[in-house]
Amino acid sequence: MSDPNSDRGRGGVAAPEGQLDGDPRASALLRVEDLRVQLPTEDGLLGAVDGISYELHAGRTLGIVGESGSGKTVSALALMGLNPKHARVSGRIDFDGRELLALDSQQLRALRGDELAMIFQDPLSSLHPLHRVGWQLVEAIRAHRDVAKAAARERAAELLDLVGIPDARARLHAYPHELSGGQRQRVMIAMALANEPKLLIADEPTTALDVTVQAQILALLARLQRELGMAILLVTHDLGVVAEIADEVAVMYAGRIVERGSTEQVLTAPSHPYTWGLLRSIPRLEGGAAGHGPASRAPRDSDRGAVGELEPIAGRPASLISPPSGCRFHPRCPYALPDHARIDPALAPLPDDPAHLAACLLAPEERTRLWSKEERARLGSDEERAHLWSDEERTRLGSDEEPARLGDETHG
Amino acid sequence: MGATRSPRAWEMRHMAETLLEVRGLVKYFPLTRGVIVQRQYGAVKAVDGIDLTLTAGQTHGLVGETGCGKSTTARLIMRLLEPTGGEIRFAGRDIAHLGGGALRALRCELAMVFQDPYSSLNPRRTVGAIVAEPLAIHKLQPDRAARRRRVQELMDTVGLNPEHYNRYPHEFSGGQRQRIGVARALALSPKLLIADEPVSALDVSIQAQILNLLRELQRELGLTLLFISHDLSVVRYMCERVAVMQHGKIVESGPVEELYRSPTHPYTRELLAAVPKIPGDRRTITG
Repeated sequence: MSDPNSDRGRGGVAAPEGQLDGDPRASALLRVEDLRVQLPTEDGLLGAVDGISYELHAGRTLGIVGESGSGKTVSALALMGLNPKHARVSGRIDFDGRELLALDSQQLRALRGDELAMIFQDPLSSLHPLHRVGWQLVEAIRAHRDVAKAAARERAAELLDLVGIPDARARLHAYPHELSGGQRQRVMIAMALANEPKLLIADEPTTALDVTVQAQILALLARLQRELGMAILLVTHDLGVVAEIADEVAVMYAGRIVERGSTEQVLTAPSHPYTWGLLRSIPRLEGGAAGHGPASRAPRDSDRGAVGELEPIAGRPASLISPPSGCRFHPRCPYALPDHARIDPALAPLPDDPAHLAACLLAPEERTRLWSKEERARLGSDEERAHLWSDEERTRLGSDEEPARLGDETHG
Repeated sequence: MGATRSPRAWEMRHMAETLLEVRGLVKYFPLTRGVIVQRQYGAVKAVDGIDLTLTAGQTHGLVGETGCGKSTTARLIMRLLEPTGGEIRFAGRDIAHLGGGALRALRCELAMVFQDPYSSLNPRRTVGAIVAEPLAIHKLQPDRAARRRRVQELMDTVGLNPEHYNRYPHEFSGGQRQRIGVARALALSPKLLIADEPVSALDVSIQAQILNLLRELQRELGLTLLFISHDLSVVRYMCERVAVMQHGKIVESGPVEELYRSPTHPYTRELLAAVPKIPGDRRTITG
């Protein structure tokens, strides 16, 4: 029915788009290099974030995706200097020419809520329940700008209007509990935008909201970004949300970035088995990949084709206190070879798209082949499925000029 | 994509066997004022006259946003709440106002899996004790060894290691805890299993494991499943039929594929349009 090449074509077109920004190193608003966050616990040192690097340009959105415990939130909090006191943070965070990790708490305070703002998952617990929202907005403005109360109030009303709260002036008198969940999140966004930040960090901004409200908030963020030109760092577990508003994606697993690239590329031509696993774990709203009722498998196969079952990732997330040796994903990876328990893959660019990086020990061509083959099988017949990754293939791969491949991985 | 399908032979076979029939079900929660003398000044119409028919051996979805009354509906069917009005016919018998022994007996045939695998398990009891509790309450298999065998069998069914019988909930991950919840729900071999947002507290990869488990169990045990969720994609994966709820009413219902392909109610359309699409899904692009 659908031409399988059609979207690959789209992906191909999307690739150069990322390079429109000119020299990326020169213009990046945020550059994170080898960021590490370690938290001492009773059981030992927990490496929540283990050497991640990424860049974010003004006016762009980077989505950081991962499951709970992958380190995505901790890495975002590190930017704000909001990790617990006993956390050991190292690496470099270059924000608009300043090294954030070198700033003292007072300097950070001046930055937070001004050039650097954050919104959180649960708007109810992030707003003060005993103060009217107008008061809270005025406070956020006056913390950074030397303006009269009346002027700040004026600005607060403007902000509420900007984030699409009807009858903004009257709503200044409302307490948080008088607002709906979506409106509270709008107030949080208004507060974050109070001083026109250059970077907005959004940590699961829509997770607590209903889908229809989520759609409104995502549209709002996209509109505000267009109007104000800020960069957004979006932390989420939801690939759908990323697909909706992110330009680039970084997929995190066990404290590391395992794949990074333009949203289009990562979602249509993913190159890491973990990303494959995530994509195959999500039920879809349309198309044959969704299942059709448990009891119905046999009787309905003729009707719907053989596709259906979600393929969860086996096992459970890696321990961050004693992470697996070699590739951290190898215990859960269906394609792991014995060597993968020994060699730790670096994040390396793909040969056909230098802006798309993955940390995997399989050769890039092999991964491309596996993904497209499985995708075909997923949409195709049972026979094709059954022959996926046969033993013969496994042995062939194992003997496949190992040294050359490893060289490929490490030079990036 | 294709033409409308004719009713499947398989569905026809089951058409006759209705396990649960809900007619005009109503639940109002009174709003009162005053401390000593309470006066009612209104009511929250949580469930406002809904009809629902569950065919034996099928999975039915109930989908809607926060506060639409879907969980209240589940609690009414479980008889954890007393309906304000309407009928709930379970296997041909009206259970809307059962009490005492009859209600107790009914609870052997209905079971529920809850949303939060953390708060729905008693942290001070072992997994064995938690799963065995329904058996103990209903005084089934009083023989200790037999009960233990049954519990281990259940743990095995849901993919838990039966040797972990003596462990406590905190030793398990979220996904495993949800498996414990499922094992407990299956302890009495219920006819109807109600799953209220069973995966929304779980990570995506774990969510898929639990969804597949529920599908398998449903298939193998021939359960009737009422699957409640806010997630339209998950409902599509799990269910044959779906009912969309809004403000305590069912606005639209029908076979999942048909309803998703051509929704007629504006609210259903709005819901479907709001779900973020993943571009990697080539079917989304063509569709």
